[in-house]
Amino acid sequence: MFIGTEKLTHTYMPGTPFANEALKEVTFDVKQGEFVLVIGPSGSGKSTLIQHLNGILKPSSGKVYFDGNAIGSDKGELFKLRRRVGLVFQMPEEHFFSETVYDEVAFAPRNLGFDESEVQIRVTSALEEVGLNAETLAERHPFQISAGQKRLVALASVLSLNPEVLILDEPTAGLDSSGRRNLFSLLTRLNRSKGLTVLICTHHLDEVAALADSVLVLHHGRLIFNGLAGEIFSRREQLYELGLGLPAVTEILFGLSEKGMKVRTDIYTLEGARLEINKVKRRHEK
Amino acid sequence: MIEARNLAYYYPGEEETSLPALSGINLAVRRGEYLALLGPNGSGKTTLLKLFNALLTPSEGEVWVKGISTVDEDKITEVRRYCGMIFQNPDNQLVATTVEEDIAFGLENLALPSAEIKEKVIDVASLLGLDHLLQQPPHLLSGGEKQRVAIAGVLAMQPHCILMDEPTAMLDPAGRRDVIETVGRLNREQDLAVIHVTHFPEEAVFADRVIILNQGSLVTQGPPEIVFNDLKLLHSLGLQGPAAVELAALLRKDGFDLPSQLIHCRELVNSLCSLERKS
Repeated sequence: MFIGTEKLTHTYMPGTPFANEALKEVTFDVKQGEFVLVIGPSGSGKSTLIQHLNGILKPSSGKVYFDGNAIGSDKGELFKLRRRVGLVFQMPEEHFFSETVYDEVAFAPRNLGFDESEVQIRVTSALEEVGLNAETLAERHPFQISAGQKRLVALASVLSLNPEVLILDEPTAGLDSSGRRNLFSLLTRLNRSKGLTVLICTHHLDEVAALADSVLVLHHGRLIFNGLAGEIFSRREQLYELGLGLPAVTEILFGLSEKGMKVRTDIYTLEGARLEINKVKRRHEK
Repeated sequence: MIEARNLAYYYPGEEETSLPALSGINLAVRRGEYLALLGPNGSGKTTLLKLFNALLTPSEGEVWVKGISTVDEDKITEVRRYCGMIFQNPDNQLVATTVEEDIAFGLENLALPSAEIKEKVIDVASLLGLDHLLQQPPHLLSGGEKQRVAIAGVLAMQPHCILMDEPTAMLDPAGRRDVIETVGRLNREQDLAVIHVTHFPEEAVFADRVIILNQGSLVTQGPPEIVFNDLKLLHSLGLQGPAAVELAALLRKDGFDLPSQLIHCRELVNSLCSLERKS
């Protein structure tokens, strides 16, 4: 088991009239190097779940694992854990507090006590890793750069820790389509070439489905699906019942299938749909 | 009803150094019109919305709202009543401890008698399907419900236009459908003009008019079936068309004879099925 949970339950404000069981006996396991999506309607427990994975929240009961060991509550251990499991919050640029992009990215490595020359190496390579030009951006104010760049700076500030796992909560909210594509191709690169394990919470399935090794679906705090992306999208009725939806491409294939065209409905990419429709057409012509 | 004439805006301190956030914008929004505003990050969409309800005032040119210039400081509250704004994150715009108080916030500022406020709140709540939630604290609602409360608060002021800045960016798919349906209905039934900023072409296919901004200028505008079928332009700006348009373009390359102006998924489905039957 690389990273995952066993019967993880979390109750907010336990013992009060506002007690709310946000996670209920969630068990899952992610292998090293996997690219995993966590989906579910608002309030289903996604953010609560991922905040357990680097020790920000502690289980009410059950266990969280990382690299074969249960995460304890020892402060030194948690400190180490947070270096290895990086978490990028929703709208991370809202939490910027430094005067320059450089200081923003340098915050975490400085906090870990590295000397300034090591800090500089880490900041420069983290900025390069996310495709930002360190020379031109380093001294700019983090509020004076574009929305897409801000998001990348936030990502760089986590990458400066050289984490092994990267967890992102709604990483594309508010980004335009080229910003979204850019971010996803960056995450794919980090996953494929650097072997980073990536977990993403998202509402925008269509854009990431093709990248994912597996999908976790949460509903009312329970893990109700853990499997391949194609598999989840063929369960149309269930997704709508859960307040989720299908990628538009899959919706088109369902439409065709309902009208009697014999197409597969577990496809969620434009190219995939193009091939499938061509295939059916050729079969028909024969 | 809203009109921008030769509008330009520079953010303070950037007058000389860089490009304006907006320039040369001429635009008239008709009563009851549904306008979708798209463009890359930094293209000026949010700036334009803020100029429409006098959160910003023009550096050059003018904005007129129902015959009032937005630089007329005495009438600024009137401008904001006519043009209500909905922001991206519902959590940043709900202020009260119950839904009822939140919807009433604007009305209370007008110093109306409390019976009248109550009546208006109940009216808009029922219009937006929030009746059963009036006594709930807003933070316990779903994202889509929160956005509907924000819309109700704006609607209570009886605006002529509602400005929405990526109102679905933080919502789950059900919340998105909820908000889009609600706004579409208000637009049709209440004759309310809507200016909707979005990054999702799928949300804009039902608009009367689509406007594309890039680097502070208006690049193109027109009915969605025309604008969204100009994939060459969209792609050159880093934007994408609705899935049906993108897929249809690929299929045309493969020899499928599809109509040139389709934008909805069901149009593509129907066209493909009738091709099947013919061949």
